Amino acid sequence: MSHDGHHSVVIPAPGPEFQAHTVAHHFDTPVQEFQAAKLGFWLFLATEILLFGGLFAAYFYFHEMYPETFRVGGQQLDWKLGALNTTVLLVSSWTMAMGVRSAQTSQRKKLLMYCGLTVLGAAMFMVIKIIEYKAKFDHGFLPVFGGLGYDGATGQIAWFKDYGGVMAGVPHGHIFFAIYFTMTAIHGLHVIIGACLILWIMKGAAKGRFHAGYFLPVDLVGLYWHLVDLIWIFLFPLLYLVP
Amino acid sequence: MSAHTNNDGGHAPALGELQMGHHHVSSSRMFVNVLIALLILTALTVGASRIHFGSANMLIAMAIASVKASLVIAFFMHMKWDTAINKIVFLSSFLFLSLLFVFTLADLATRRLDNEMNIVKTPVDKHWVHPQTLHAEKQ
Amino acid sequence: MTTNVPTIEQHPPAPAARKNFWNVSSGFMSWAGTLDHKRIGIMYLIGVSSAFLCGGLFALLVRLHLWEPHGMLFSNETYNQIFTLHGAFMVFIFVIPAIPGSLGNMVLPLMLGAKDVALPRLNLLSFYLWCAGTALAILAIVLGGFDTGWTFYAPYSLYTNKAVVSIGLGIFMLGFSSIFTGLNFIVTTHKLRAPGMTWFRMPLFVWALYATAILQVLATPVLGITVLLVAFERIYNIGIFDPRLGGDPVLFEHFFWFYSHPAVYIMVLPAFGIISELVSVHSRKPLFGYKLIAFSSLAIAIISFLVWGHHMFTSGQSTYALFAFSFLTFFVAIPTAIKEFSWVATVYKGSIALNSPMLYTLAFLIIFAIGGLTGVILGALNVDIHLHDTYFVVAHFHYVMMGSIALAFFAGLHHWWPKMFGVMYDETLAKIAAVTIFIGFNATFIPQFIMGSRGMPRRYATYVPEYAPFHQASTIGAMVLGSGVALMVYYLVASLFQGRKAMENQWGGVTLEWHTPTPPPLENFEEPPIVTTEVYDYSTLDLETMRTPAR
Repeated sequence: MSHDGHHSVVIPAPGPEFQAHTVAHHFDTPVQEFQAAKLGFWLFLATEILLFGGLFAAYFYFHEMYPETFRVGGQQLDWKLGALNTTVLLVSSWTMAMGVRSAQTSQRKKLLMYCGLTVLGAAMFMVIKIIEYKAKFDHGFLPVFGGLGYDGATGQIAWFKDYGGVMAGVPHGHIFFAIYFTMTAIHGLHVIIGACLILWIMKGAAKGRFHAGYFLPVDLVGLYWHLVDLIWIFLFPLLYLVP
Repeated sequence: MSAHTNNDGGHAPALGELQMGHHHVSSSRMFVNVLIALLILTALTVGASRIHFGSANMLIAMAIASVKASLVIAFFMHMKWDTAINKIVFLSSFLFLSLLFVFTLADLATRRLDNEMNIVKTPVDKHWVHPQTLHAEKQ
Repeated sequence: MTTNVPTIEQHPPAPAARKNFWNVSSGFMSWAGTLDHKRIGIMYLIGVSSAFLCGGLFALLVRLHLWEPHGMLFSNETYNQIFTLHGAFMVFIFVIPAIPGSLGNMVLPLMLGAKDVALPRLNLLSFYLWCAGTALAILAIVLGGFDTGWTFYAPYSLYTNKAVVSIGLGIFMLGFSSIFTGLNFIVTTHKLRAPGMTWFRMPLFVWALYATAILQVLATPVLGITVLLVAFERIYNIGIFDPRLGGDPVLFEHFFWFYSHPAVYIMVLPAFGIISELVSVHSRKPLFGYKLIAFSSLAIAIISFLVWGHHMFTSGQSTYALFAFSFLTFFVAIPTAIKEFSWVATVYKGSIALNSPMLYTLAFLIIFAIGGLTGVILGALNVDIHLHDTYFVVAHFHYVMMGSIALAFFAGLHHWWPKMFGVMYDETLAKIAAVTIFIGFNATFIPQFIMGSRGMPRRYATYVPEYAPFHQASTIGAMVLGSGVALMVYYLVASLFQGRKAMENQWGGVTLEWHTPTPPPLENFEEPPIVTTEVYDYSTLDLETMRTPAR
């Protein structure tokens, strides 16, 4: 597309190891571009809050309906692993914030380091999560590999095997684990997406795309990562501690 | 898209002229302080859950989680120094979400009241017999 | 100067006489990969119009089947699929995306004096998601269809052996298409207004799209999670909606209607915006109560989050929830009525041009009054107990969705047709079609109000013979309505090939989209506009040339 007579606005690179950034043609100033992108991203985060919020609503609804099920079900979860995951995510949130700060101060190597640490945190989180899931599967609590289907005659749900019989005394024990799995799986998906986004930032950082004049993508990916942390801050006590 | 220089004539503008407005850069110390606070609050949450306050446990856990969330939002997500519209956008999502919580849970909670007061809302109540059954009985 | 339509026949415009967004580039990829909001708007227009015709075809099949009490065309099971497809296509693929995606995309940046929307690539993504969602819906039909009604209530949607997961995924994508469009419009309205355009100098169509966008962003994600949970239930039997497994179907309804009630305002608010623009232009009079109309759009958006339970009055909520929702429902009528009165007050003593867009607009004012008032009737708890799931409800929502929203869409389409395509359609045929549609529409749905109030249930494939006269009258009306729509499609498409060249400012509008060449150039404005006057100031209009000086 040619833009006769329209000059693009360019933010120059602050040093030889960095790249200049050309402002998109429909914006008049870099401020406009920055504020528009940020507002757009906060709106997107608002949609994520409402998406997860529905799951939290389901949690509170069934907690009210079957308090015993949630109490016993919560006891089957290992709160120590949950607390470890919480710590990992909080620290990774800190490293991400430091990463954004490094971009804002044109410190390319530090940006790469902090992003790398954040991705490491994400990986640790997923490893711990998989360990947890394996334990649940061993107890017969996981709706993925246990089989599908529901037998109306016996009332047996294929995936909810409950080998230890711990949930036998409470009504509809599978509901707690259905909610646990749905919430943590969708959260885990967002952790993976966040890690991929941070890897993409690292790729750009290596080329010197991000500096004090232009750190917008780092800022936005940072916001996404903090959202992932935010959701876990509420998930952890509700699933692991309150019961 | 070719990159033209700004319409300033010949010289390349200094970075300051093209600054994207004043951006607040947080100090490393501030970030570390927030992290320490978050970790302390996490320990507090775990500790409080060990003590049985009954139904207040949920409230305490949510209150502490809200404080942690506020710290992450205000400082890590930089909202304290952000524009008003961004604050309104994000915080209103919690507000509207709370509408879903309130009405849905209130419905569930007050159904119990209906049952206790034996309120019947549809024609199908204890004494109603299906017309077919009635007809069959008459024959 | 009384007529807006030039009387001299002209051949189609000389090719590439002037560069505009149509001829600036050509080829499939220049359209499929475009970042230009006007081209995206045209692609949306083709898409949603096709969806409308598809959904309309399903509707005609429904009406034909119901000609006879025992059902004339289909088995009961097939009938369930037909009305479900009619509803799903119309609601998710046509009404929700139509006005924001087509007319909104085309006109909003122009009205704001901007070069494009704030996030053009996101705009294109929105369109791709619409395509993907529609493709999944069509795939679902091929894979066995679905027969749950467009509301796919649990528990039936959990048990039925149809392609619920496919359509669910399609709805998920359509939902995100809607979310991203709303997100884009909010950012554009905040950040890309022309210098001098304060919030209260924005056209009311922009206010309407802004209020719609708030709903799109805040409400649609809950539909997304609902669809995901239904999919998980079907695949894994997680048991949260299934009563056999200890779940609660009423929870499904709470989740579903938390989105779907704001959704009906996502559908209707843009239509209100179009009507606001058209009553002003075609009465050549500033809007009565500009600020009232602007704020009422926001009020409707906010109140719409408080009333969703009125769709669930007979589903088993607690009495207290019922009282609360019924009470709150009445409040949404207040800002809506403010709009209706303001429009009528605008037309009063205006210089009314009875051209085709205005005919649709006047039809809207009448039909929406009926649709809105019957909504208030249904909001009354005690009355709704009897009217719920009857044809009264069907008639009410068709009065607002078809008679109001679709008619407003047609009105906007006719109004901005010359601006978008640079050609004018046959005005005589347009007037005939408008009147035919008005008569056909009322003939279709007034019998439905009557038989609904007399107990005819909705979604029934067969009925007792007492209702036959009403059904048959309704079917005849539907045929008249269908022929009116067919005529409209004919002359609109014909205008693209044989239409006479449109005037630069066909109707004498004064908002910024009429300050730029017809059709607009790629960059929208040759000189970035600077706004100095109030928005509906017709004193600036030179009646001889229909030109306005730069605002």
